[in-house]
Amino acid sequence: MYSLKTTNICKYYSSTLVFKGVSFQLNPGEVLAVTGWNGSGKSTLLRIIAGLVRPSAGRVEMFFKNEPILKESRRRFLGMVAPSLALYEELTAFENLEFFCRVRGISYDRKKCLNLMERFELIEQTKKMCRNYSSGMKQRLKLIQALLHNPPLLLLDEPGCNLDSKGIKIVEDIISDHRQLGMTVIASNEKREVDYADRVINLSG
Amino acid sequence: MHPTKSGRWTTQTGSSTYLDEAIAIWLRDLRSEFRTRYAVNAILMFAVTALVAVSFSIGAFRIADAEKSFLYAVLLWIILVFSALSGLSRSFVKEEEAGTMDVLRLSARPQAVFLGKLFFNLTLLGALELIIVPAFILLMEYEIEFPLLFASMIISGGLGLGAGTTIVAAMIAQASARGALFSALSFPLLLPLMITAIKGCERAAAGMHTAGWPEVKLAVAYVIIMITMSLFLFPLVWEE
Repeated sequence: MYSLKTTNICKYYSSTLVFKGVSFQLNPGEVLAVTGWNGSGKSTLLRIIAGLVRPSAGRVEMFFKNEPILKESRRRFLGMVAPSLALYEELTAFENLEFFCRVRGISYDRKKCLNLMERFELIEQTKKMCRNYSSGMKQRLKLIQALLHNPPLLLLDEPGCNLDSKGIKIVEDIISDHRQLGMTVIASNEKREVDYADRVINLSG
Repeated sequence: MHPTKSGRWTTQTGSSTYLDEAIAIWLRDLRSEFRTRYAVNAILMFAVTALVAVSFSIGAFRIADAEKSFLYAVLLWIILVFSALSGLSRSFVKEEEAGTMDVLRLSARPQAVFLGKLFFNLTLLGALELIIVPAFILLMEYEIEFPLLFASMIISGGLGLGAGTTIVAAMIAQASARGALFSALSFPLLLPLMITAIKGCERAAAGMHTAGWPEVKLAVAYVIIMITMSLFLFPLVWEE
């Protein structure tokens, strides 16, 4: 139903070329991995797809039943996890999730949040302020935040970052579950994460 | 977890209004502020220190009664404006410093973010005015002939101050040397409002009833123009 298409995306920072000519189409159930050296633009490409950064050239389009989704609305159809996306440290996990539900116009379902917290093994930590979380726990909460509205497009920048083996297994399960209908783009150089993908784009090449 | 058994996609999006999103942001900011007190401390410390300094120093002079209404209005608005400038930029700056700007960009529409931050700044300003204005009147023995006109001027001036500082705070949030930039950009934007508010308060204190209401109308017009322009301009400031 949903699909993503990028056409000849190119990004310059000042006069420095980061990457050029990135084109791909992603259909439901597909997982794409973006690899490359540090500074090759993996995170930038994900931010461009999310609409957080403008490409220097090229187009990103998302479709629902072949009808284009407006750029302003596209953000509502994606969930993103990235090291640069922080959560509110002075709030508890539940307060963070409640905020993201309300601001996205989803009715706040405490039971659903509890289920997600249980799945991510954070159920014991619901009343703790996020500033007291370890980096791995924060990463788990970021993943929950990204999945809260069941987005058809998941953008995962270094999803296994700071996670222990249990956390990595949960990420694997999420990507596998998401395959059933949604699309996933993973930016990583971890072999294990790249192996989830059906296709790989190497930005260093 | 995501698709239903029938295979139908159950993405939950777009059922909120701008106001719902703005209220969610406003409540979250209030909750954060209640716990961290970044902006409240900065604003109140400045306001109370300035008020005490003014009341002690002016108390030593004998100001002619004829000049009191004007001079006190000037002092009151100087305290209010500079107290606001000392803390109202925090609403956007703390998002930038905490790295939560992007997650907010992904979750809420720009106009809702502006309205939420505006509500938050107006709440802070309302609290500031509730504390400082009565304290100023008591400490300075400020006699006001037309309290209703005076209150209207304080409220409409406060709304203008909130609207002006919110859009400037958004503009400077991603810059370096934010503090200086915030004051430098806010001052020319707020000057017409300050002059109007001072005139309005002076006339309310001096008993020039009919002459004071046009100043209130002018301040209300400033608020409407500032909020309307900000709602159009904010998406350009908010996006990269």
